[in-house]
Amino acid sequence: MITLNRRKALGLMGGAVTAAGLATPALSQNKKITVGALRFTSHSGSFVAVERGYFADAGLDVELKFFQAAQPMAVAIASGDVDYAVTAISGGLISLADKGAIKVIGGALSEEAGIDGQKILASDAAFNAGLTSPAGLDGKSFGMSTAGSSFHYMGSKVAEAEGVTVKFKPLQKVGAIIGALKSGQIDAWSIVPHIAKPLAGSGAVHIIGSIADYLPDYQVTTVFTSTQNASDEKAMTGDFLAGFSKGVADYNAAMVDKTGGAEDETAMVDLIHKYVYTDRPREKAAPSIINGSMRLNAGAALNMGSVEDQLNWFKSENLVDAKVTLETLVDASYVETT
Amino acid sequence: MDIRLSGISHSYGEVEVMRDITLDVPSGRIVCIVGPSGCGKSTLLRFIGGLERPDRGEVLQLGAPPTGCLNPLTYVFQDFALLPWRSVAGNIALVLEDHGLPRAQMDEIIQDVLARTKLSDFAQALPKQLSGGMKQRVAIARAMAVNPAVMLMDEPLSALDSQTRELLMDDLIGLWTRTPFTAVYVTHNLAEAVRLGHSIVVLSRRPGQIREVVHLDMPLAERGLGDPDLDRKQQYLWALMRDEARAADAELIHV
Amino acid sequence: MSEAPDTARRVAFRGGGFAPTPRRFVGAAVFILLIVLAEIGTRTGVISPLTLPKPSDVLATFGDLYRSGLLWKHLGPSLSRLAVGATLGVSLGISVGILIGLFSYIRAGLVPLVAALFPIPKIALLPLFVIWFGIDEGSKYALIAFGTFTPTVVATYGAVDNVDRTLIRMGQSFGLSWVSIVRKIVLPGAMPGILSGLRISLAIAIILLVAAEMLGAEYGIGAYILEAGALYDLERLFAGVVILSVLGVLVSMAIGLIERRLLVWRV
Ligand SMILES: Nc1ncnc2c1ncn2[C@@H]1O[C@H](COP(=O)(O)OP(=O)(O)O)[C@@H](O)[C@H]1O
Ligand SMILES: [Mg+2]
Repeated sequence: MITLNRRKALGLMGGAVTAAGLATPALSQNKKITVGALRFTSHSGSFVAVERGYFADAGLDVELKFFQAAQPMAVAIASGDVDYAVTAISGGLISLADKGAIKVIGGALSEEAGIDGQKILASDAAFNAGLTSPAGLDGKSFGMSTAGSSFHYMGSKVAEAEGVTVKFKPLQKVGAIIGALKSGQIDAWSIVPHIAKPLAGSGAVHIIGSIADYLPDYQVTTVFTSTQNASDEKAMTGDFLAGFSKGVADYNAAMVDKTGGAEDETAMVDLIHKYVYTDRPREKAAPSIINGSMRLNAGAALNMGSVEDQLNWFKSENLVDAKVTLETLVDASYVETT
Repeated sequence: MDIRLSGISHSYGEVEVMRDITLDVPSGRIVCIVGPSGCGKSTLLRFIGGLERPDRGEVLQLGAPPTGCLNPLTYVFQDFALLPWRSVAGNIALVLEDHGLPRAQMDEIIQDVLARTKLSDFAQALPKQLSGGMKQRVAIARAMAVNPAVMLMDEPLSALDSQTRELLMDDLIGLWTRTPFTAVYVTHNLAEAVRLGHSIVVLSRRPGQIREVVHLDMPLAERGLGDPDLDRKQQYLWALMRDEARAADAELIHV
Repeated sequence: MSEAPDTARRVAFRGGGFAPTPRRFVGAAVFILLIVLAEIGTRTGVISPLTLPKPSDVLATFGDLYRSGLLWKHLGPSLSRLAVGATLGVSLGISVGILIGLFSYIRAGLVPLVAALFPIPKIALLPLFVIWFGIDEGSKYALIAFGTFTPTVVATYGAVDNVDRTLIRMGQSFGLSWVSIVRKIVLPGAMPGILSGLRISLAIAIILLVAAEMLGAEYGIGAYILEAGALYDLERLFAGVVILSVLGVLVSMAIGLIERRLLVWRV
């Protein structure tokens, strides 16, 4: 026989209220979520949203979790340890989507005409031997972290456009690639401007071209989450994107469009410096942060054309299963797509 | 070739192991050395073989070694010391290889010593296939292959069971009777000493000194198991040694 | 006792166990059981495709690898890296180990050095090796050679130390030359220890293959595994790992064969 006392009844009602709350927008629910990030300026959308309370305004209690590389972050999303993150489209990401673990739900970083984007670099030795423009890449070695990384994609696309063949050298980590490029063990590489410019400034490497010339509107990084969040936690995902987009808007205004003036930029650099280049004093970090400014997609809009081109390239290189569709990779229901 | 030991004394650090040993080993004779364990028998043998130097006194070779002698002072070890990875013939070849003999002559020597030790059928066997007695016969064959002037035998039969020991003693006597060899034969077994020794040197407990040298005139070939004369000699030797052995035994505990 | 036959009891047997006897096929059965369980688990969905790939898919991936000819394209460079690196490391290791075993000064000078080198994670030195020996084959050979060198040295001088001293005394007592004693007594006597050290060294060489192919290797089993990991392609990952395991088993079998031929004399 089941006896229902007052306390139990109240508990049951409370449960019903909570369940009802989930179905409505999560505002003021103060829901705890984890957002993965790398310490790059391209992740500033999340940093700003946390610092300026945009996530909190959206009813989310966000804990940032930092990773050393994109790969483990993607795995953490798949395993449910992290809810949302930003990363480049890579073979690994597509593979995880193919396994039903993750979905791309928005755009983060794009190449845009008129804004300094990713650079193509040549080692000093190769530069002096005549590698002064991407047209001279034939037979040269090109650094990448691993096969199926965004570096692999960029290098391939540049080579294809120039009608040359390059030898790709997997070096696992960005640090190792930089070391190999500086010491002339590899000839060329491509990387975001906030890394490219200081390297070129030191004279050890030379900038010989821009990725934007080969991949205009390249969707460099995307916002992604677990398939479960994308399909079952629509409210929470919407709230996250709302908060994230506010952060992105602030960042673009301060750093890319510079509509807020010097004061706004200074405040933004201070904010970002809490997360990026923390091992350097502010005055040394600031130029790198300013140099590295690239447009973040307003409203997390996603360039489907670029995503599709990337997906097709990964398929053609046999890096991912040929049966993966754009729908498997992307849940386009959240943001504006082009 | 004779061996002469004169005034040999030796200490290992604080421990004096040997005091003033003077002894002749005449050619063609077997000299047995007996004494309680730890009295320095093995050490003495190492001095004779040149593997170690005494603190005082000297070891002299008198006269030239016989022609065709490849290693004048040759050991037979208690634990055989055969290379397990070489066959019987290979173990004997080992001690001949460094002398630059023609292949044919080496084979001839090996055949000969194997025949003399009744091992011809086992030339290709590995040591692990042989019994203890056979292994020691291989070691003896190996020693004979270098045609030594003096054989230095350190308890060669001690690792064997008593039946095998009897058989090997007969073999040794047979070998000596056909071609007399010179040997210093260390043992703690008095029965072996009275069967094989032309003279028996009795050492005291440490520091080893010569207590007495007992001579046996009976030809080796006539000495049989249970011979009353030999038994008397053996009892006499035991009487000489008993107290020493007991004292040495008690002393070892305090070392 | 005789007046109480009803109390007679048979002495209880208590001498069993503690004597491993060979049981054939049990090892294979364990393998097969685990694989079948994994297959059933992944097919029914109890094990998610994120956790473990279907064994049958791994087999299919391996089949593709073989048919496409990529297997040899990956295996070739890896085997040559293993061969060159391990040959360098092992032969240098045996030589140094023997010198340490024979000469007191060399021992005093090198044993502490080897002890200092042994625990260094060789993978940490990879970037350095890339600078020293180049990003191509040089650094890979060096890493594998270095990784096999130290365990070989330690195994070898231990083996030389363990050579029966009475055998060396015997050699000296027969007037054998120093070279003869080393060649005919010390080396064969140390062979069992050297070979068992070789087992470990070569296993380490295979482990280091993946590390060696981290930097700048386009082809190679290690590169293949790393790429599969980056692509989160579990089928390829497992296919690559299985190739390494098989390589390990083959190497171990080869050493077993050498042991049986070279060490027949062992009791
Ligand atoms: N190399 C050595 N260093 C120190 N002491 C030794 C050494 N060799 C033998 N001794 C000691 O010398 C004594 C005589 O040894 P040993 O000649 O072997 O006796 P035995 O063969 O008569 O039993 C023993 O007390 C032994 O401990
Ligand atoms: Mg002794």
